Amino acid sequence: MSVFRRLALVVAGLTLWELAARSGMWSPIILPSLARIGPEFWFLATSTASLLEVWHSLFRGLSGFALAAVVGVALGVLMGRSAVAAAFLSPIFSGTYPIPKIALFPIFVYLFGIGSLAKVVLVFLECLYPIVVTTHAGSRAVNRVLLWSAANMGASRGRILARVVVPAAAPFIFAGFRMALPIAMIVVIITEMISSADGLGYLVMYSLASFRTDRMLAAVVAISLLGLMLDRLVVILRDRLVFWERLESYYAE
Amino acid sequence: MAPLAFAALGSAANWRALDFSVSCMNARVIGWGLIVLTLGIWQLVALGEHPEFVLGPAEIAGDFAAALRSGELLPHVGASLLRSLPGFALGSAIGVILGLLAGVARSLDQMLSPLVFLTYPVPKIVFLPIVMLWIGIGDASKIVIIALACFYPCFINAYYGARSTPTIMVWASLNMGARRSQVFRKIVVPSALPLVFAGLRVSLALSFILLFSAEMINARSGLGFLIRQSESSLRFDLMYVSIVAVAALGYASDQLLLLARRRVLAWQEVRS
Repeated sequence: MSVFRRLALVVAGLTLWELAARSGMWSPIILPSLARIGPEFWFLATSTASLLEVWHSLFRGLSGFALAAVVGVALGVLMGRSAVAAAFLSPIFSGTYPIPKIALFPIFVYLFGIGSLAKVVLVFLECLYPIVVTTHAGSRAVNRVLLWSAANMGASRGRILARVVVPAAAPFIFAGFRMALPIAMIVVIITEMISSADGLGYLVMYSLASFRTDRMLAAVVAISLLGLMLDRLVVILRDRLVFWERLESYYAE
Repeated sequence: MAPLAFAALGSAANWRALDFSVSCMNARVIGWGLIVLTLGIWQLVALGEHPEFVLGPAEIAGDFAAALRSGELLPHVGASLLRSLPGFALGSAIGVILGLLAGVARSLDQMLSPLVFLTYPVPKIVFLPIVMLWIGIGDASKIVIIALACFYPCFINAYYGARSTPTIMVWASLNMGARRSQVFRKIVVPSALPLVFAGLRVSLALSFILLFSAEMINARSGLGFLIRQSESSLRFDLMYVSIVAVAALGYASDQLLLLARRRVLAWQEVRS
C-alpha cells in the first residue's frame, strides 16, 4: 500500500463528503460541510480546554493498556513456561474469555467510583486477554534448542526467561499489543459515552445532544486519528525493537 | 500439587513435557475448583457486613430464577439477540466474502484493502452517533454499527487466510485442469477456513461489546438497557441478573461457534 494511494483515498472521500454536503439534499445538521467541521477540528486540536479532553481519554486508555501489557506479558510468559501456572490460569482465561467484560462496568462504577478508575480497570481487563493469549502462545513456541543451550551454558531460570523466552516471544507479544490497543480505545470511548463528564467520548455525546454535529464529527475525526496514530506508534516501536522476525498475520505486518 | 510444582520449577529441560501432561490431566479439575473456590469466598464475603450493591452468588441465582419467572428478563434477551445476530451475520458474511475475494483477486485487493487497513484501528463505536443521526435511533442503527465492527476482523482474517493458500496446491489443481472457480471453492476456501473462524470468533466478541454499549447509550429494551435501568433505579438484583445473562449469552454463543468450527474443520487438527 503506497502512501500515494492512501492519500488519494482520503482526498476522494473528503471530496465526496463535501459534494454531498453542498448538494443541499440533506440538512447541515445531518451532513455538515467540511467548512464547518474543519474549524471545529482546529479548535479541538489547539485550545487547551479541548486538549484536556483528549488527554483524559488518552490517559485512561494508555494507563489501562500499560497495566494490561505489564501484567499480561508476565502472566503469559508464566503460563507458557510453567506447568503449574498454566494449569491454574489457562482454565480461568479460556473460561472467561468469551464473556463481554463491558457488562461489568456498572459494578465497577459502584466499586471504583464514577471517575477514571472504573474506566481504567475495564480497559485493563479487556486488554489483558489478547495480550495474555498471544504471549502464552509465543512463549510456548520458543525453540527448545535455544532453551537447552542457554541452560547448558549455565543461565539461571530468571535469566533464561529474560534473555531467551521474552525476546523469542516478542513478535507474538507485539501482535497482542496491536490487538489490544484498538480495544483500549473502544472501551475508553464507550465508557465515556455511557458515564462521564469529560473525555472525547463524552464530547461526542454532548455535541450530539446539543445538535452541534459539526463539533461531534470533529471529535470523531480526532478519535479516529488518535486510533491510527497509536497503532502506528506500536508498529514503529515493534520495528525498532523486534527487527529480526515477522509473523504472518495482519497484526504482525 | 506441591511436589509437582517444585519438580516443574526445578528442571529446566522438562518444562514442556511436564507442562503438557499437567495441563491436559488437571486443567479442567483445577479450573472448576477455582471457580467453586471463588464463588465460595464471594458467598462468605456476602454473608458478612457489606454495602447494598454487593450480592452473593446464592442470592443472584435466586433472583435469576425469579426474573425468569416474572418475565422481566426474557423479552430483553430477545431484543438484544434481534439486534446482535443480524448485525453479526451481516457484517461477518460481507467481511468473509469480500476478504476471500480480495485475497485472490488483485483488482479487488487494490481497491478495498487500503481502505480497510487504513480504517481498521479506528474505534468503530464513534460512528454510532453518526449512524443514529442518519438512519434513526431505532434498531437499524445498532445493527449497522454491529455489522460495521464485525466486518473488519472477518475481512482481515479471510484476506490473510486466502493469501496464505499453499501455492503448490493451486498450481497442482490448475495443472489437473481445474477452473478458477473450482480452485477458489476447493482450495482457497478450505485452506482459509481456520483463519476465517478465528475472525468470526473475534467478531462475535466485538458484536457483544458493541451491542451492550449501544444499548447502554440509548435503547428502550435489551440487556444493556436493563443493566442501566436497574442500576439507576437501585434494583441491584435485576442488575446482577442481567449481567449474568450477558455473560451466559456471550459464553453460549462462543461455545456454539467453537462447536461449528469443530464440525466444519473436522479434517484439521484444531488447536486453541
